[in-house]
Amino acid sequence: MGAPVLIASDVCKRFGPVQALRNVDFRLEPGEVHALLGINGAGKSTFIKILSGALQKDSGTIRIGGEDVHFRAPEDAIRAGIATVQQHPELVPDMSGLDNIFLGRETASRSLMGRIDREALEARADALLARFAVPIDLSQEVGQMSAVEREAVAILQAIAVDGIRVLILDEPTSTLTDVEREDLFALMNQLRAQGIAIIYITHQLEEVFAIADSFSVFRGGACVARMSVDEARSSGVSLADLMLGEAVGDIFPKKADPDARGDVFLEVRDLSLTHGFENVSFTAHRGEILGLFGLVGSGCDELAKSIFGVDPPDQGEILIHGRPVSLRKPREALDAGIFLVPGDRRTEGLALSRHSLFNVPMANLRRAAGGRWGLKSRQLRSDIQRLTDQVALHPPHLNTPASGFSGGNQQKIVLAKGLYSEADIYIFVEPTVGVDIGARAKIYGLMRDLSERAAVIVVSSDCDEVHGVADRTIALHKGRHVEPESGVFSRDDLLMAGIMGKGSL
Amino acid sequence: MTMTSTVKFAQSRPRGRKIARLTTDLWLVVAVIVVTLGIASQRPQLLDAVNIATVLKSFSIMVVMVLGLTWVIASGKIDVSFMQVAALSNMICAYALAQGWSWGGAIVVALLAGALVGLINGWLVASMRLPALIVTISTAGICASIAAALGKGTVIRIADPGPLEPLLQPALGGAVPMIVVPVLLIAAVAWFVQERLSFGRYIYALGQNEAAVRAVGVPVVKLTVVLFVLSGVSSALAGILLASSLSSGQPMIGGPFLINGLTVVLLGGMMVRVGKPNILGTLTATLFIGVLFSGATLLGLPDFQRQIIQGGLLLTGLIVATIAASHHGARTAGQ
Amino acid sequence: MRTWKDRMRHSTRGLGFVALVLIVAAIFGALEPRFLSYVSLNGIARHMAANGLAALGLTFVVIVRKFDLSIAGVAAFCAMSMGALIAAGWPLWSVILAGLALGAVIGGISGIAISRFGLPDIVTTIAVGSIGTGLAFIYTGGRSIFQNFFTSGITDLNDAKLMGLGVSMWLLVAIYALAWFVLSRTRTGLAFYATGENPMAAHFSGIATRRFVALAYVLCAMCTVLAVLLILAESGTAETNKGANLMMPAYAGVFLGAAIMGGTSVIASFGGILLITMLLDGFALMGLPYYYSDGVVSLILLIGVLAFSDGARGTLEALRFLFWPQKPTKPTAKGSDA
Repeated sequence: MGAPVLIASDVCKRFGPVQALRNVDFRLEPGEVHALLGINGAGKSTFIKILSGALQKDSGTIRIGGEDVHFRAPEDAIRAGIATVQQHPELVPDMSGLDNIFLGRETASRSLMGRIDREALEARADALLARFAVPIDLSQEVGQMSAVEREAVAILQAIAVDGIRVLILDEPTSTLTDVEREDLFALMNQLRAQGIAIIYITHQLEEVFAIADSFSVFRGGACVARMSVDEARSSGVSLADLMLGEAVGDIFPKKADPDARGDVFLEVRDLSLTHGFENVSFTAHRGEILGLFGLVGSGCDELAKSIFGVDPPDQGEILIHGRPVSLRKPREALDAGIFLVPGDRRTEGLALSRHSLFNVPMANLRRAAGGRWGLKSRQLRSDIQRLTDQVALHPPHLNTPASGFSGGNQQKIVLAKGLYSEADIYIFVEPTVGVDIGARAKIYGLMRDLSERAAVIVVSSDCDEVHGVADRTIALHKGRHVEPESGVFSRDDLLMAGIMGKGSL
Repeated sequence: MTMTSTVKFAQSRPRGRKIARLTTDLWLVVAVIVVTLGIASQRPQLLDAVNIATVLKSFSIMVVMVLGLTWVIASGKIDVSFMQVAALSNMICAYALAQGWSWGGAIVVALLAGALVGLINGWLVASMRLPALIVTISTAGICASIAAALGKGTVIRIADPGPLEPLLQPALGGAVPMIVVPVLLIAAVAWFVQERLSFGRYIYALGQNEAAVRAVGVPVVKLTVVLFVLSGVSSALAGILLASSLSSGQPMIGGPFLINGLTVVLLGGMMVRVGKPNILGTLTATLFIGVLFSGATLLGLPDFQRQIIQGGLLLTGLIVATIAASHHGARTAGQ
Repeated sequence: MRTWKDRMRHSTRGLGFVALVLIVAAIFGALEPRFLSYVSLNGIARHMAANGLAALGLTFVVIVRKFDLSIAGVAAFCAMSMGALIAAGWPLWSVILAGLALGAVIGGISGIAISRFGLPDIVTTIAVGSIGTGLAFIYTGGRSIFQNFFTSGITDLNDAKLMGLGVSMWLLVAIYALAWFVLSRTRTGLAFYATGENPMAAHFSGIATRRFVALAYVLCAMCTVLAVLLILAESGTAETNKGANLMMPAYAGVFLGAAIMGGTSVIASFGGILLITMLLDGFALMGLPYYYSDGVVSLILLIGVLAFSDGARGTLEALRFLFWPQKPTKPTAKGSDA
């Protein structure tokens, strides 16, 4: 490798009294995939925003190809050769992939009145695809594409600009299935082969070893470690320890004692939903955490929503405490004692512009009013205070809007909302997407506590999560459930069951 | 790489699609013909040269008034000030002429007023991020007040018919006023801008996902301001034409055009680019409404019944569009 | 529901509002001494009653994050319908009930079309309003109705007084108090707000969001009917353009109040409409021609929402920073990594 393509030294940034970045030193070699690790609040997002021109540094230097640069706007960063793909890339759903890639760059002059030359655009797209062979149909509307295809379109859009040397990918895999993740890695390898350096933010530590050449760890606003993946592998250093700054044990709580398993709270018999899942049956008991593993598109998400009455099943039976019930909407499910911690907490779980006092009681307004019509304000407030203490909301502000919290703490507010609803069947969908390691351990611990009085079901596409937290697991593959042959899934069996649909190897 | 494995194409798309396209493109044109023939069979006067000329004159003025509005709505915003901008420019014209100005000067000032209102609307919506409805409802109120104040609450007569007057008179065989030609020319240019230039593409992208357009560095604020200014200028132009056509400045003329304008734009948005207002659709819908209303008058329906019909038409259009959109959505989701 | 900090901030805004009202009153009083006379204040109270009811209805719709532009049309049609019933000799109470029922039906149509069938709110209500305006002509073809008005007792709503205050003002206060209680002290109110904040999350929380959206339109139309009833009582006739002047003050009141108080609420709308009515009456008293009133209201609305917008706050913040650069900007609780 030649001279570093990007060197940052002594970069500082503060927001009011908060020192977000302190003297960050950072180096990126040409053509390397460099993972950026750190829990929420460690400063990596701030750093990325400075690199992409969305924020300005207070002090320090950034050099690209040996030249000092200072970005006032994202355009400056792009001109200097740094392209960024956001965590949730913004695309125009009604336009084709091709049109999205060149949106805003249809003409050389980039004027509003530029004439669009279709053939020239197609030629440019061909040239781009000649460098990066992505087998997707770019004439398709983006709204009809799968998640990984959209991600690929967003990446192509970012690198379609001439002179891009650095590509920043902000948690691109968080919405992808394992199979799709491999596709993304293949594209990243092509970029690497072309000499483009990639800064890659992820919460998934195993991905670091799968794709990255090297990594940096951020903690408390500083870059505390930089090493190559080979070094890390040979020295056996724990990435989680580096991120948290202290040795952490297992983030998963102890498994339940099989004898402590209580009554069946929820039973599902031959449940089916068109375009969702087929003949799924399982039981969930008090005293245990049931894990439901399935990749995106396996029908897991649909199953959870179906049980919760969002999209009621076409066929099959749901029994609660042994009694068959018909749940046609969330209200009926809540009344029956089910609470869903939705997978997309920002749109399905929270009123982001409102505080905890508003969000927590939302699913049980009857309790907030003490069974009557008028609210019992004092009681409500003390209940919510207790619950936010219980979930360890940080910072413990009841009046801060939900949007002001990190992903992990937003999830804790949803949890408090679930606790307030006093359900006895809890379904968690993708409970730790976008949640840092510290908050993850807390959330898993809360699930374990909850399982002592309620049936807890964890639905996730993260195999390690399901295996780590659940006492008993089943997998869903293409809408059909797969059970272990020997009674218990090992981690690898579970993964194979989710990917291949096999009961065992 | 196995990305293609996740791509599923809708089966047997091509032929069905072509027919579907043709119907979505042309159904309103068919509706115009059917309505024309239907009414003409009852009231042949509909096709008299004089009546055709009247219909085409109001068609031209209406098209000019809502050209800019079409794009504002296509970009996902709303402008409910356009009809009062027309009323304002109408009164400015009349007032300036009454003060002894020439037609040229009056037209320039009226157009500038329209541009100014558009600029204010655009700035408040795009730069200050205020809701478009609240902004334009307010500027509409202000324009209406100024328009009324110019004439102290009453009509101002215009003595000199002015240079635009001949354009509005029947020519070309006594059935087609000359104004139709420049109006269609403007519409053709607008169609070209909408379909072939990046400007048009950004309008529709803006309506779909503003953040995406912003993210790639398109000057969204500038674009939005331009759209509102265009809307202001085009409705001001319509106000000038009205001044010439009516030989007077009428402060209360704006009101009824609100529902007229929205109806043609939204009805027009149901052809060619389904669910998206567009120039060609607006032209066709304006003609449709023009013929329908002319027919209603010939059939002796009072004014208020036309208003009820128009409201019903707008509602029907909305329902059709919403059903079409949900079908499209279902097809997308069901794939 | 709130901490003392929240209350403080709220009451600061509230005090600011009261101060603003007093300042406006003082200015008008100084310019035109008649403004503070009993007759004038009574007039303000009467006008405020009608405007305030329309604004209250709109408040519900704005809380669920929708718009209603059918207010004028609903008012016109219901005014003529009630007028026709009075002329037909119906007793007043049944006329009012019938009017409210008619309003509820029209509001229900808009509400269900928007919430259940997903039609766009602005254009749908414009269409419904247009139909309403047209339907107002079906009884008389546009002529005004005045038969039986004086014998029906409707004018008492305007003239009668209770403890020195007009009956209409009492009606306003009673309905506002009820609405305030429902919206800020009951679970129904919480559900209304939740529906507006994030309908999807509210649905996942078991709240019947569609029902609340539809209900907001029904309440809006019913409040509009009450507002136009007071206008009929004041003028003693029913005309097709009655209620045409209800919409702008209602929008101005709701949005001005929300801008000043930092959110849409019953109290904010009350304050907003008080301010707007004072300004309208004040200007009218000073001899401002009628055709300026819409312009004045519009201008105030525009200035109000602009002055309290985020954009303006940013500009102010920047100015402050220019003069006191050392003062730290307000920290956000947001983790920089969120």
